Amino acid sequence: MNPPLLKLSSVSKSFKDVSVLNDINLQINSGEIIGLVGGNGAGKTTLLRLMTGVYRPTSGSVLFEDNKEIHLVRENVGIVPESTGLYGKLTAWENIRYHSRIFGISDDVAWDRTMKFATNLGIAESLNRHTKGFSRGMKQKTALLRAIVHHPKILILDEPTAGLDITSARNVRKMVRDLGDKGGTVVYSTHQLSEAQRICNRIIMIHNGRIVADGSPEDLLTEYKMQDLEELYVNLTQEEAVLHFEDKEKESRISRIWRQFMTKTKRIVKEEEE
Amino acid sequence: MISFTNIRFIASKELLEFIRDWRTIMAIILIPLFLFPVLAFALPGLVASEMAELDEYVLEVEIQGTEFPDEWLGEFNNSSLNLSYAPLPNVDFLSNSSNTSSKFQSGELDAILRVRQSNDTYEFAILFDSTSELSMEARSRIIGVLSEWEDNEVKNRIENAGLDAESTLNPLVYNGTISDSNTASQGEQSGLALSLIVPLVLTIWTASIAMQPSIDMTAGERERGTMEALLGLPLSRIEIMLGKWGAVSTIAGIGVFFQIVGLLFAINVLAQTDVFGIPDLSIFSIILLLVAVLLLSLIIVAFELALAMGAKSAKEAGTILAPMLIFITIPALLTSVINLEGIESFWFAVPILNLLLAMRELLVNDIDILHAIIWITSSIFYASLSILYASRQFKREDLVITQS
Repeated sequence: MNPPLLKLSSVSKSFKDVSVLNDINLQINSGEIIGLVGGNGAGKTTLLRLMTGVYRPTSGSVLFEDNKEIHLVRENVGIVPESTGLYGKLTAWENIRYHSRIFGISDDVAWDRTMKFATNLGIAESLNRHTKGFSRGMKQKTALLRAIVHHPKILILDEPTAGLDITSARNVRKMVRDLGDKGGTVVYSTHQLSEAQRICNRIIMIHNGRIVADGSPEDLLTEYKMQDLEELYVNLTQEEAVLHFEDKEKESRISRIWRQFMTKTKRIVKEEEE
Repeated sequence: MISFTNIRFIASKELLEFIRDWRTIMAIILIPLFLFPVLAFALPGLVASEMAELDEYVLEVEIQGTEFPDEWLGEFNNSSLNLSYAPLPNVDFLSNSSNTSSKFQSGELDAILRVRQSNDTYEFAILFDSTSELSMEARSRIIGVLSEWEDNEVKNRIENAGLDAESTLNPLVYNGTISDSNTASQGEQSGLALSLIVPLVLTIWTASIAMQPSIDMTAGERERGTMEALLGLPLSRIEIMLGKWGAVSTIAGIGVFFQIVGLLFAINVLAQTDVFGIPDLSIFSIILLLVAVLLLSLIIVAFELALAMGAKSAKEAGTILAPMLIFITIPALLTSVINLEGIESFWFAVPILNLLLAMRELLVNDIDILHAIIWITSSIFYASLSILYASRQFKREDLVITQS
């Protein structure tokens, strides 16, 4: 068994009165390619943000290999957010260089590392172009390069193939597999079970803020006596998804009061009509 | 432990991104630099052209009454006034304008001159419509003719009485020029004049120029989804805040610098005045002045960043910050009316106002140690509060949530 890299113990996360994650216990070992699978609002992104130290747990702990809290050792983590997080007015190289400088890597070393991966990804020619005009696939590749330039011990990807065309998605998957083959550790969130099954050696299913299944694809099918993972997922996630924090947050207080007022008014009108 | 290298990287990146927009160059360099010179060129030209346009109009004037000097008629004709005549109405006061407004509203008349003789004097009134530029112009031309006639008439009457008109009218004459009598140096005069303008320009321009970058680097970054990647880096929130503060302050500083250069250029070169120039300031005054400008910028920018960071979108941030711009003009305007002579020390503890008053004092090279201690101490306290407030905003966890 590979040594543990990241350990989440009894982690819960709430925003105001909304509970998003409940009692998550998870150990990520070095060299694992983990597919984090769940529906919208399941808590995938919140869990990833806890793993990257962007969020702090409401209770429990997220500890990196030598029992340090993850937000204190962020230099070990590489992140590709769902939005890619690239600055449109900077070139691809300037985006990568900005992050590499923060990680304390010299521009020469960062350039050599970037070129090595950029050639494989086919974007070496575009490094000096502003990312504003990039396609979604180009942006994902640039964000990937930026996330690995400091040689992180764990790479966290939030839906990296969402919105990509078939070829680009395939390239991203290939790169993740290559990283795994070289002993890298990747946590990969996706909606698509088939994609997770193809590239991950461990799958974690999350629903309504709880882990409902965790194991290798083969072990999960054996344990639950199912034919395929999709069937397993549907069986495990019968309950209705709870309203996610972000969804609640988007509704302002005034909108909420107005919505509640209108709902009440409609009900009274309906009752009077009856 | 705060890393100044990281703060520098963040600030440099923000500046690089900001100057890649030509509109930014316009906003922080060209507009501040050319605003006052363009106004100085354009405004007098526009006024002259509008006046020339009015001069070309032949205006309709009705003279009510027959008892007036004959020489008026020739002068009225020379002033492009088309005259018509009517009897003097039966009114208590000639200025009673009742029952005349319809003639003005229909455009039939631009002014009415009522006149009658009373012994050795003439009584008159000019009826006009203050909302009509032509009516105001007609009134002005009539007053011009009457004033000139009055001056000549006064001289004639004095001379007819056997007196010297010049010495009778001006028994007290100033010998020399007022500017020669002023013991204040040109530098001191410049300091006084600038002390009324510079604090106002500094406050309004710092607040307005810092607004857009503050929004862009906070709520804008959230909206574009770049904040999450930034927060995932091994940076403390205070480093991120200070990096962005450094960038916004630099932008605001450059804008204010060009604004002041443009203002001095407009006044000195275009207005051809000796009043403004380089003020006589001691090194200590200059250092304190820079401290005041720095503290002002620190407070305003930190506060704007914090407000923008608290907004859910760039649009909301704009809505929050726009009233702040109006709010900040209040201390700026108050500063120019507060009398510095014998000023109470408590004024130097009022936020923002204290720095602006300090600037006024320092620009006239007046260094009051007690005032300086009060404004520096209180402003450091306010600046710390603003930075604390801003960094608290940057520590909020919902900052990474994008509003899609």
